[in-house]
Amino acid sequence: MTKNYSCLLGLLLFVFACTSCSQDDNYVQVQPAPTSPVSLNLENVPYSTLSEYNFFEGNMLDLKPVYGVLPYKITSGLFIDYAKAQTFVWMPKGSKASYVNDHSVLDFPNGAVLITTHYFENVLPEKNTQMIETRLLIKKEGEWVLVNYKWNDEQSEAILTTEGSFVRVKIEDDNQVKSVNYKIPSYDECFTCHNKYDEILPIGPKPQNMNQNYPFEDGIKNQLKKWNEFGYLDTSTIPSEIVSVVDWADVSQPLDLRVRSYLDINCAHCHSDKGYCEYAPMRFSFNETNDFTNIGVGVKHNFEIEEGFSHIVSPGNPEESALLFRLKSTLDEYKMPIMGRNLQHKEGVQLIEQWINSLKNKTL
Amino acid sequence: MKTKLLFLIICLAPFVIKAQSSSNTCATADGATHITNAGTYSITSFDGTAPTSCFGIVANNGEWFAYTPTSDYLVEVSSDITGNEGKDTRLSVLEGTCGALSCLESNDDYGSATVYNRLSYVKFSVQANTTYYISWDNKYDASAFDFILTETPIQPLSFTEQTRLGGGTLRGAVDMNNDGLDDIVSIVAKNVNDSNVYDINIQEQINGGSFIASFFGNDYAISAPYSAGWSLAAGDYNGDGYNDLIFGDGSGINIVKATNNGTSYAIAETRNGIFTQRTNFVDIDEDGRLDVFICHDIAPNVYYMNEPSGLQYYQGADPNGVPEGLGIYPSGGNYGSVWVDYDNDGDIDMFMAKCGGGPARRTNQLFRNNGNGSYSEVAAAANLADTIQTWSGAWGDYDNDGDMDAFIGGYNGASHKMMSNNGNGVFTDVTATTNLGFFTYTGIDNVPVDFNNDGFIDILSNGNILLNDGNPANMSFTVFTSGMPPQGAIGDLNNDGFMDVVSGSTIYYNNGNLNNYFKIKLVGNGLNKAGIGARVEITTSSGTQIRDVRSGEGFRYTNSLTTHFGLGSDTNIISVKVYWPSNTVDIINNVGANQTITLAEGSTLSTQTEVFAEDLTLFPNPAKSTLYVKTKYNLNDAIYTVFDISGKRVLNSKFGKNNTVDVSSLSTGTYFLRVMQDGLSNTQKFIKE
Repeated sequence: MTKNYSCLLGLLLFVFACTSCSQDDNYVQVQPAPTSPVSLNLENVPYSTLSEYNFFEGNMLDLKPVYGVLPYKITSGLFIDYAKAQTFVWMPKGSKASYVNDHSVLDFPNGAVLITTHYFENVLPEKNTQMIETRLLIKKEGEWVLVNYKWNDEQSEAILTTEGSFVRVKIEDDNQVKSVNYKIPSYDECFTCHNKYDEILPIGPKPQNMNQNYPFEDGIKNQLKKWNEFGYLDTSTIPSEIVSVVDWADVSQPLDLRVRSYLDINCAHCHSDKGYCEYAPMRFSFNETNDFTNIGVGVKHNFEIEEGFSHIVSPGNPEESALLFRLKSTLDEYKMPIMGRNLQHKEGVQLIEQWINSLKNKTL
Repeated sequence: MKTKLLFLIICLAPFVIKAQSSSNTCATADGATHITNAGTYSITSFDGTAPTSCFGIVANNGEWFAYTPTSDYLVEVSSDITGNEGKDTRLSVLEGTCGALSCLESNDDYGSATVYNRLSYVKFSVQANTTYYISWDNKYDASAFDFILTETPIQPLSFTEQTRLGGGTLRGAVDMNNDGLDDIVSIVAKNVNDSNVYDINIQEQINGGSFIASFFGNDYAISAPYSAGWSLAAGDYNGDGYNDLIFGDGSGINIVKATNNGTSYAIAETRNGIFTQRTNFVDIDEDGRLDVFICHDIAPNVYYMNEPSGLQYYQGADPNGVPEGLGIYPSGGNYGSVWVDYDNDGDIDMFMAKCGGGPARRTNQLFRNNGNGSYSEVAAAANLADTIQTWSGAWGDYDNDGDMDAFIGGYNGASHKMMSNNGNGVFTDVTATTNLGFFTYTGIDNVPVDFNNDGFIDILSNGNILLNDGNPANMSFTVFTSGMPPQGAIGDLNNDGFMDVVSGSTIYYNNGNLNNYFKIKLVGNGLNKAGIGARVEITTSSGTQIRDVRSGEGFRYTNSLTTHFGLGSDTNIISVKVYWPSNTVDIINNVGANQTITLAEGSTLSTQTEVFAEDLTLFPNPAKSTLYVKTKYNLNDAIYTVFDISGKRVLNSKFGKNNTVDVSSLSTGTYFLRVMQDGLSNTQKFIKE
C-alpha cells in the first residue's frame, strides 16, 4: 500500500513542477541588442540639415548623443578664436577602426562619422551658449567627405553650407569681453587643412591625441579603451606605451612638451610632408619636433616680412623670431595659422614666448 | 752759408720732384708726372698755352695737368676753397689726345659757391687708366691759387632712404591723379563695430617729387570689407582716365573704381570666398575693355570680364568667360600671374607661378593666347613646366634679343631658374651661365626693372638686386645684397628717370648715375586707358629693347604704368613703336633721351605712310577654308590678324612657314585681314563663304 502513495506523490510533484517551469520558461529576461538610432544612408549623404542624421536626442543644441555616438576629446585643442569644441564619433554596427601608428589618424571603416561642433559660451548680453557650426567627416567608399552645417539663429537646426561666412559674437572669457568675427570656413578652406596631396584626412583622432581619460556616462575611462570596449576600435596591435601629446594649457607639464603639443595641433597639418606648405622647412608634427631644428630653432629665416627676422626661432630672442611674429600677427598675409583664426591667441603667444626665452644658453 | 743752402736744396729736392707742377702745354703735361689720386694741387703762375676746346673766347695763357685715375670714379675738381676768396678762375676738363682734344666739362663761375661765386667747380665720371686733362686759364684773373680734386668710387647702384609719413599697408607706386607722376597707394584699416574695414590712402607726388614723403596723403573712406593683404593692382577699366584698383585678402576681393575725375573712390564689386594671391588688370579677351584677373590659392582662378552690361564674375572654365579657364586645378595653388606676350604674336599670354601640394598642383603653367578667344596651356612644350614652388616669375628681355625671357623664382632656397626665350615658343635653361648659382634666396617677389639705366633689365628679388651685367651672350648678373631696397612697389617717385622703391614706411630713392633714360606714358582710347597689354619697343644705336605694359607684376604690389627704359649713354632713340592691344600701331621716330612723353593711341597714324608688302593680294576671295596670301615678301616673321566687320579681332597668329590663313572656323561674312611686320601693315578685305 505505501508504494502507491509514493508514486501518487511523485506524480503530483511532477505535474506541479512542470506547471511552474512552463510558466517561467516563457519569460527569460534577455535584453535585445541595442541599436543606434543614427540615420546614415551613404548614398544620400550629405543631408541638407544636421537633424536628419539623428546624432543627438532631445534639443539638438544640448548635444546629448544618442546611443552609438561616443563623445571624445583630443588632448590639446586647436585655437579657434576662443570658441569651444565638442567632438563625437559614430560607426556603423559591427565596424571598427584600427591602429596605424601613434601619430597617424586611425584607419576608420566606411560609414564612420567624426562630428565636431564649435560653439561659444558666455555670449553677451545674456551669457548663453551659441552653437556656430557642426563639421562632419564621413568615410564613404574608402575616402573622406567634408561637410559643414551652420546653426540657425533659433539654434534649432544646422543647415548644410559650402560657402564660408562670418558670425559675430561678443563673449565674456577669462573676465574680459572679447569681440569675435568668427569665420565658418568654405569647403575650399576645409579642404586646405584637411588634405595631404589632395587626399582628404581627419586631423584629430590620432592615438597620440586620444590617449587620455574621459568622463563617460558609465564612468571615467581611457578613450582608446572605451572605443575598444564599445566595439569601435581594434586594439590588438596597439602598443602598451603610446607616445602622446600633453594638454598645452597644463602648466604642470614640461614646457617643451606643452609647446610641441600646441604646435602639433595648430600647425602640423600644413607644415608636414604632403601638407599645404610642405615646401617650408618646418615640420611641426609632435613625433618630429623632438628635434628642435624642425621647429626652426637656429634656422635662418628666408621670407620677406617687412621687418627683418634673423631666424624662424632665435634661441633666447623672441623679438628676432619669425615664428612668434607670425603667431602674434592678425594680418592675412603674415598670420599663422594661415586660416582658422582671426584673433591673436594670447595664451599661445605667451607659451611660445616663454619657451623661446627658455632656450637661451641651452645646448640643443 | 753755402753748405746750409746746399743742405736746404737737398732737403727740399724730394718735395720738388714729388709734387706735380702744372705744365705749359697738353703735351708737356702728358710727359710730366700725372695726377693719379685725390689731393690739393697748385697753379703758381700762368705762362702756358690756353685751352681752346671749351670756351669760345680764348684766354691769354693756361696751365695744364694730366690726370690718370687708377679706378672708375666720380670726380670733382674745384677752386671753390678757402684761400681763394676774391679770385676768378676758369676751368676746362678735356679728353682725347693732345692733338685731338674735346671738352668734357668746363666751368667759369660756379655761382652758388661756398667761398666765392667766381670760382669754378665740375663733377664728372672717369674710367680707370684713361688720361684726362685739367686746364685752368687766366681769362679773368692771373692770381696763383690751389684747387682740389676728389675721387668717389662709382657704385653701380645705391639708394637713399626716406621715411614716408602716413600709415596703411603700402601696395602701389602708380599715377592715380593722372598728372603723369607716380603716386603712393596704401590701404588703411579702420575699426568699425569691432572689425576692420579698409580705406584707400593716396600720397600724390608733387612736381619735383621730393616732397612726397612729408605729406600724409589723402584718405578715401570706402569701408571695403577685405584688405589688400595679399595683393593690389591698378588699371582704368571704365575709361574715365583714372586708375581703378583691385585688391584682396584671404577671404575676398574688392574692385574699387575712381569716381568724379579721380577725386573720390567707390566700391564697384566685392566678393567673399576668394583666397586672393596675385591680381591683375588685363584685357583677357582683347575686346578693348580691361578685365580683372585674380589668382585663387585654394580653388580654380576667378576673373571678371568687363562687358557692356558691367563686370561679370566667372570661375574656372566657362563658355561665356574663358572656355578652358585660366588655371582650373580644383584645389588651386595659383600664386603669381604675369601677363606677357611671350611668343611675340601680338596677343597677350599668361604665365602662372604655382606653389604647394603635389606635382600636378604645383607645376607652373603657360597659357598661350590662341588669338581666337581661347587659351591653351603649353608649359610642358615650352619647357617651363617646373615644380620648384614658384610664387612669381620676373619676365623681361634680359639679353635684348627681342623676346621675353623668364626668371623663375624657387622658394626658400629651392633653385631658381633663368629661362631664355628661343624665339620659337620654347625656353632654354641658361641658369648655369648667369653667375646666379650661389644665389639661393629667392623668396616670393621677383620683378624686372632697369635700375641703373644701362639699357639692360635687372631683377629686384626680395631685398637683393640682380644687376644685369649687360652681356647678352651669357645673360649674366651680379648680385647686390646689402643696401638694396626690400620688396615693394616700384615707380619713379621723384621723376628723375631712375626707378625707386617704396615699401612699408620707407621710400628708397635711387641715387642714379649719369646714364640716360626714356619714359613713355600711354593714353589709350576706349576702356583701357593705360594701354595695359601694349608692347613698347625702342631702338637706339645700341639695339632694341622691349616692354609689355603690365598691371600687377611680381607677387604683391602694383608698379608704375609709365613704361621706363634705361638708355646707357645713348642720347637718341631712332624709333619708338607701340603695339596697342586694340591692334593700332603707333610709331615715333627720333626721340631725345631724358624725357617722359605721353602718347595718345592712334596719334601717329597719319604720319605712317609706309605699307608693308605693297603687292599683297589674297586668294581665293571669297574663301571657304584656306586663304592664301600672295606677296614677294617673306612672311615668316609676320603676324596676321583677322577682324570682323565690327572691328572685333577674331583670329591672330604668326604665319610660320606657310603663307596661309585657316578661315574655316569663321562664320560667313565680310572680314579684314591685316598682315603686319615691324609695325608696318597691309589690310585687305575678304569674304568668307
